[in-house]
Amino acid sequence: MSVATDAPLPQPDLLAAIPRLRRYARVLTGDVNRADDLVQDTLARAWEKRRLWTAGTDLRAWLFTIMHNVFVNQRALARRDQMHVSLDDGEGGEAWQIPVHAGQYTRVELTELVTHVGRLPVDQREVLVLAAVEELKYEEIAQVLEIPLGTVMSRLSRARAKLRLAFADGPVATPLKVVK
Amino acid sequence: MNPLPVTDADLNAYADGQLATSRVAAVEEALAHDPALADSVAAVRRHNAALRDALDPWLEEQIPERLIAAAAGPAHAAQPGARRWVMSALAAAATLLLGLSIGWYARDVDLERDGTPTTFTRQAALTHALYAGDVNRPVEVWAPEEKRLVTWLSKRLGFPVNAPDLNGTGFALVGGRLVAGHENPTALFMYENADKQRLSLQVRKQRVEGGEVAFRYAIENGVGVFYWIEDNCSYALSGNLDRGQLLSVGRVVYGQLAALDAAHGK
Repeated sequence: MSVATDAPLPQPDLLAAIPRLRRYARVLTGDVNRADDLVQDTLARAWEKRRLWTAGTDLRAWLFTIMHNVFVNQRALARRDQMHVSLDDGEGGEAWQIPVHAGQYTRVELTELVTHVGRLPVDQREVLVLAAVEELKYEEIAQVLEIPLGTVMSRLSRARAKLRLAFADGPVATPLKVVK
Repeated sequence: MNPLPVTDADLNAYADGQLATSRVAAVEEALAHDPALADSVAAVRRHNAALRDALDPWLEEQIPERLIAAAAGPAHAAQPGARRWVMSALAAAATLLLGLSIGWYARDVDLERDGTPTTFTRQAALTHALYAGDVNRPVEVWAPEEKRLVTWLSKRLGFPVNAPDLNGTGFALVGGRLVAGHENPTALFMYENADKQRLSLQVRKQRVEGGEVAFRYAIENGVGVFYWIEDNCSYALSGNLDRGQLLSVGRVVYGQLAALDAAHGK
């Protein structure tokens, strides 16, 4: 019989957080494999710092903060490729593949929208996704990204202005129009 | 009273449902008088909904084992930052050092014989904790579609698998899913009793020379795991039950599989 002698599971439930970390990492890197590398590094940091997490506070925001820092540090180390996200072809495209599903929008529309999001500069992209998809409070986003609230708002405005422009007369802009 | 002019930040906050209540009236009035503003709020909401539609399915994807291991801390994880090729190189080197030619499975089994926790039981426990803890979506295919589930998993595993009937022990099938294994995919069947306790049975192909490993029991991070290897398949039954309970369910599972094998003339 083997009884594990390790410490019990960490206070923060890191396992349960993995899907959201992977999604956010994919938004940041635009690449499935690099995203999982980033998640792995983030989990390692989170484990080291697990005693610093205050139980009861939003674990997501705490982990996104760690991931943001890991990402920024790695990007500083790897300036040469600028973490440029190639979303149209090659490896990177895989990150943005939209699964088939039966929602309000067609797969083509969603792919188009997500591709546009992928083309936003990473600092606008992360604010947009944290607000629109993760539905974090703006104050939380400011903490995660360690930027002033005003900067959150201006990046969000710019990101959304670009999307609106891209879909000024595109399909996602008018999903409910009935054509007879 | 002259309210402050409505800003872009107000509109974003309104669309995201984050506007301070003191500003809502002013924004709603502006929207009522300016169709362009109303359009832009509507567009933000549509884009939010569409983005969630697009990105939510990513949350359902299968999680690579290296991440499950990383979440359990350095004792379980590969070196932080180690990349796949590094890990393969380490694995290859370690395999050479150990003088094993039959790979990691055999190594795990050997370690287990020495009483060391193995990747096999650890993964079974971690996988169980991950999915059993997911109240709303522990499985991918639910019990009412058992036939489809079994057909799908058998196809993916490359050999016939069945969901044992554990109703006699008070555990009803919830459903199942495919999870990642070291080399081979793993089938997971989830069960639940009236007290909402969950059990999972994981099955996968296991290349082991010398064939069989009798019932073994391990506790990994608080999850009890019974496992055994037979006919080149490994089975792991995991749950937060005490040893005796888990063992009695394990016997039922084992008995049903044996009966099935007998029926197939093995």
